[in-house]
Amino acid sequence: MKRCYHVVAIPIRIVVNTFGDYNPNGYMYVLKENESKVRELVRKNPFTPVDLVQPLVIRANEGDEVEILFENKVHFNTGMHFQDVSYDVQEADGAAVGLNEDTTVAPGEKIVYRIIADQEGISYFSDLGNPSSSEEGSNGNGLFGALFVQKRFSWWTDPVTGKTINSGVDADIHHPLLPSHREYAWIFHDEMEINDLTGNNPVDPMTNQETESFHGVNYRYEPLHRRQQLIEEGVVGPGTDGEEVHHDSWVFGDPASPILKGYVGDPARIQLVHGGVKETHVFHYHVHQWLSDQSNIESNIIDAQAVSPQSNYTIDPLYGLGSLQGSYGDAIVHCHLYPHFMVGMWGMNRVFDTLQDGSQCYPNGEKIKALQPLPDRPAPPAPTKERPGFPNFIPGKVGYKAPRPPLGIKGGRGLTELEANAAVPNARPGAVFSDPTPPGTKVIEFNVSLIELPIVYNKQGWNDPKGRIYVKDEDKEDVLAGRKDPEPLVIHTPANVAIRVHFTNCLPSVLDGDAFQLVTRTYESGMHIHFVKFDQLVCDGSNIGWNYDTSVLPGQTITYEYFADVELKAWFFHDHIFAVVDQPHGVFGSGVVHSRFSSFFDSETGETVDHGTQISVTNPLIPDYRDLALFAQDFALLFDAKGNPIQPPAFPGSQDDPGVFGVNYKNEPLQFRLGKDCDPAFSFSSFEHGDPITPILRAYEGDPIRIRLLQGAQEESHSFNVHGLKWLEERADLDSKLDDQRHVGISESFTFESYLPRSGDYLWAFETEEDLWNGLWGLIRAYGQKVPDLVKLPDRPIPNIPTGAVPDVCDPRPDAKLKKLNPPPSPLKTFDIVAFQVPIQYNSYGDHDPYAIVFALREDQEAILKGKKNPEPLVIRANVGDTVEVTLTSELKRELFPFQDGIYPYPDVKEQACYPPSLRISLHPQLIDFDVKTSSGETVGFNGDQTVGPGEKRTYRWFVDSAHGACGLWDMADIRNHKSQGAFGAFIAEPRGSTYHDPYSLCQIKTGARAVIRNPFLPDIREFVLIMHDGVRLLDKCDQVIVDPVASVLLEDEPEEESVDTYDQGSHAFNYRNERLINRYNEKPVLHQLFSSKTFRDPATPLLEAYAGEPVTIRYLYPAERRRTQTFHFHGHQWRSDVKDVDSRIDSTIGYTVTGKKQDLELIGGAGGIKRYPGDYMYRSGNIQWGIEKGLWGIFRVYEYLQEHLPPLGED
Amino acid sequence: MNHPRQQSVLQQRDQAMIDEFVAGVGRRVFILTPSFPFLFIGKILKVIDDIATIDVETTSVAQLEEKVWNVHIHSIEVFYIESIGGRKIPDLEG
Repeated sequence: MKRCYHVVAIPIRIVVNTFGDYNPNGYMYVLKENESKVRELVRKNPFTPVDLVQPLVIRANEGDEVEILFENKVHFNTGMHFQDVSYDVQEADGAAVGLNEDTTVAPGEKIVYRIIADQEGISYFSDLGNPSSSEEGSNGNGLFGALFVQKRFSWWTDPVTGKTINSGVDADIHHPLLPSHREYAWIFHDEMEINDLTGNNPVDPMTNQETESFHGVNYRYEPLHRRQQLIEEGVVGPGTDGEEVHHDSWVFGDPASPILKGYVGDPARIQLVHGGVKETHVFHYHVHQWLSDQSNIESNIIDAQAVSPQSNYTIDPLYGLGSLQGSYGDAIVHCHLYPHFMVGMWGMNRVFDTLQDGSQCYPNGEKIKALQPLPDRPAPPAPTKERPGFPNFIPGKVGYKAPRPPLGIKGGRGLTELEANAAVPNARPGAVFSDPTPPGTKVIEFNVSLIELPIVYNKQGWNDPKGRIYVKDEDKEDVLAGRKDPEPLVIHTPANVAIRVHFTNCLPSVLDGDAFQLVTRTYESGMHIHFVKFDQLVCDGSNIGWNYDTSVLPGQTITYEYFADVELKAWFFHDHIFAVVDQPHGVFGSGVVHSRFSSFFDSETGETVDHGTQISVTNPLIPDYRDLALFAQDFALLFDAKGNPIQPPAFPGSQDDPGVFGVNYKNEPLQFRLGKDCDPAFSFSSFEHGDPITPILRAYEGDPIRIRLLQGAQEESHSFNVHGLKWLEERADLDSKLDDQRHVGISESFTFESYLPRSGDYLWAFETEEDLWNGLWGLIRAYGQKVPDLVKLPDRPIPNIPTGAVPDVCDPRPDAKLKKLNPPPSPLKTFDIVAFQVPIQYNSYGDHDPYAIVFALREDQEAILKGKKNPEPLVIRANVGDTVEVTLTSELKRELFPFQDGIYPYPDVKEQACYPPSLRISLHPQLIDFDVKTSSGETVGFNGDQTVGPGEKRTYRWFVDSAHGACGLWDMADIRNHKSQGAFGAFIAEPRGSTYHDPYSLCQIKTGARAVIRNPFLPDIREFVLIMHDGVRLLDKCDQVIVDPVASVLLEDEPEEESVDTYDQGSHAFNYRNERLINRYNEKPVLHQLFSSKTFRDPATPLLEAYAGEPVTIRYLYPAERRRTQTFHFHGHQWRSDVKDVDSRIDSTIGYTVTGKKQDLELIGGAGGIKRYPGDYMYRSGNIQWGIEKGLWGIFRVYEYLQEHLPPLGED
Repeated sequence: MNHPRQQSVLQQRDQAMIDEFVAGVGRRVFILTPSFPFLFIGKILKVIDDIATIDVETTSVAQLEEKVWNVHIHSIEVFYIESIGGRKIPDLEG
């Protein structure tokens, strides 16, 4: 079927909330039929949001041809670039890339884009005519939207009127064979220009400083600072402080941000889209859970989803609205990054239990809009006086804080008559309006308090004098007295139990002020939970919409009840009332729901336990295991031993990345681990410094382990890596790929199931440079012999391998010598690799790194040093079954390091300290198999030294146990002075029997980022290795330091002097090359043609070449090193998100890529995509802000006709 | 249809499975199947053709327990029937 839309790009004033905050320079896509209406409504309503001013959402069915007549009424060239659909790149790319025709549109002109909606899902569209991230750019000002592709034969109607619609963020979707469902667009975006009513930047009344930048949804945001003004002016909320009522509709009425409406049990779909330019957000939706990949029923169940710029996810909440327990009320939907949440990035899912026909009102008198019941479901009962339905049975008072729930608070009130009419038959504390717990279920009770105490984070005395943590009541005294070390509370239960928590607020009612925070009256707190089933009206531990306030005052106790229906991973809990100010102090914990019939014991004593970050688990049906929970923390507001604040913000109350980092209330900064020789290479060694204070998971060789990964606080992305172990990415799916790295954002939770194949010390680390530098690392210690303080797992044999005594800190550090194998392994591949320094030219504009460090095959070293070969990252390959012996030599020279005094000024890290460059180097591989005691390429714990000194050689032995594809390789000897300068590469684990050939000569090769892979059982494949990396310190052609990201911003007349976060500093590149747009713009200021090879030339980044239809695999890696995540997007092509799983989602983007990320992209349909269209396809960053401008883009050239220089696949 | 003496390996396997279950009537059995609810522990009540009737004590989901289930023997991937002198299937509570 063919569908036609006439879309117009227009400038528009976007009013983002009822306080009149607005973007004066907004842009939007709008259907032609609505254009004049929108303009007129905005003209008449300059200070209130206009419903039609929302991101354009249009719809089509799978297989439809969609014809877009696009008209540009903006003063610069714009276009529409569609993701996840097929199109002729010469005619419909919405950009001017390489040698293609320019398919952007000049002001006042039109174009027709024809696209094919290949599959159900989301096709995000945005402008590429103006890629600037400044306030003059298009994307940051709203020029984006989405095409939602439905199942074949679907149609859609307006949820209010029931009539068919052509566009709109909300729709009811119908199908002749399948259930109808609600569809909601949830389009996060950030960094939009916002003025207040006076035309100035909004000011936070608490700090009297300018507020955080815009973080919103669907062109709306509802910031705390705005609502707080109404409290300060005495308009509403007497006696309240602010944050605790931020989401309270009793005080303020409903927010301007989206409210997704439905009835209990309605099937629903949230189309989550990131239309913003900069941040990776974490989407969290209370009460509900969903499959992480809705096309794969064996994928993980999640309730929080990280989402990066220009990527998207389809979210189908399991059991429909209200989840399994049929809970109604207001479920908040928000970005879990608290500074974003605080500034307004939230909305609600309102689940009604009675019919809304437009005749009812909310308690404040505002009309409740009609909501059509889904046609194939019974309509809910009409409201009556006795049973008015949510929210009208709740005894609240408009303008005042929400009431407390009935029954739950010890000594509190009972049910009113209306509440009693709405209650379930067995109403009890913690389960009043829906009952999550089946009759007869075993109940496990916990008494939990939230307390304040000083917490010391490390051996140097860094401390949080106002630590705030959850503890079990029976531990409270011991923790306060210092007899028990404070750690995040992790409670353990088996599945199929009801968990009843009696929560007591033992916090002081005031959080005192200091260099980080202003005095805040944190007089109430609660325990908000994820994953488990509960009655949201009385157990959410929050204060949302027209719900109750389910927190308690100091000294009060409330009972919450949750049902653990099945085995779950670690369910996160935290305070939802004063989370912005409290949570950085440690207010988070977790419950782990293990398999049914599990029991838990202390790994040291064998005694039964029900809580702890590290325990052992036994089960009669499945293998026993060790269990470790790790919580990453940023915004850790610490003081040093002398009482000086560490990394305080510019002013108290600022959310601009205050403080440092922690893991389970601990850190082990590398600056304190330099030994007598001041060599960073031994920073992770326990021989000189002892073990780190951070968690060490202790187990025996062969033990199964489960790592529960969470992030407790507060705003930033972290990258968790384990060296030498791996796990199934989708734990329940045996077809899943293996991984050893995971990005985590706050509130996300992951379980990694693995086992310890050999004795030794395994490094776990949050491995972006700044995290690692500031101490986010620890060990997994596998003993090869029985030790007295570690009980064996009941189903494992007694370890009796005679490996000698456990090493001691006083022992000399041994050398990790590799034993020769006799007979030698076969097949064996050997590589002679040299690490050395050499200048690298990053592009033709003279941007260069004069001090780069590279790995190269010895046979290539001379050509590189003589300038005959401009170096690229080392890429080596081996096949499944191969043993690989890598001999590494260090030829590093002290005089070729830029900062020999040990202070690396830019790119910077928090807590800069002397860390002199190491002349030692190492090579650590991901995923493939090796013995951590000899071949991990790092000197960790009580393992021997595995780094290589100048002039020395060392051999590592690795085994290719599976066709892992892309595996990162990098140095672990000096994380400050090596990796950002290029000390990384890639190891590609290919299928057995593969040979590797130069794509131009077809000769066999041993290294190279481009190759043709031949295998007797597979088609010939073109393979391109793309290594995206960051934190690069470049000089321009005049040898001046390029201070990125500011130096690369387009259309910024006066670059802002504001300090850029440390983790945004440095330049980016693909394979040691970039093509910074600013260089091109300075050469020819034609904004919409900056990607054009006709106007300029081909970019310096790798040019990938193939013939249409040829099989192509991209090996994508991100070894280095900053915490800012990037999205990778490939125009006109898609791939399975898990190359090994045919059920996995089809994508054209990779989100939240950060240190350690790697992914294999088998392009569906090969070069040119499904339709095999020839032309130039851009691969690029999806980050408009500080990604694509910094030169993160390149070209994939797909030829239709034979080229002299490029033999087609299949030729010998 | 093959002559009984010319049964395929598959047919022989299927018959052997049925014979095991017939011999196990009255005993406790542990079963894993590829389809929901994946796990059964209970007593074999009877076998009719290739269907075993099980008085189920335990499955992966508590709400499906303490019921009589008919399990298609040929859809079973893994099983263990208690026997005298053999290992006991654990009694599971919770």
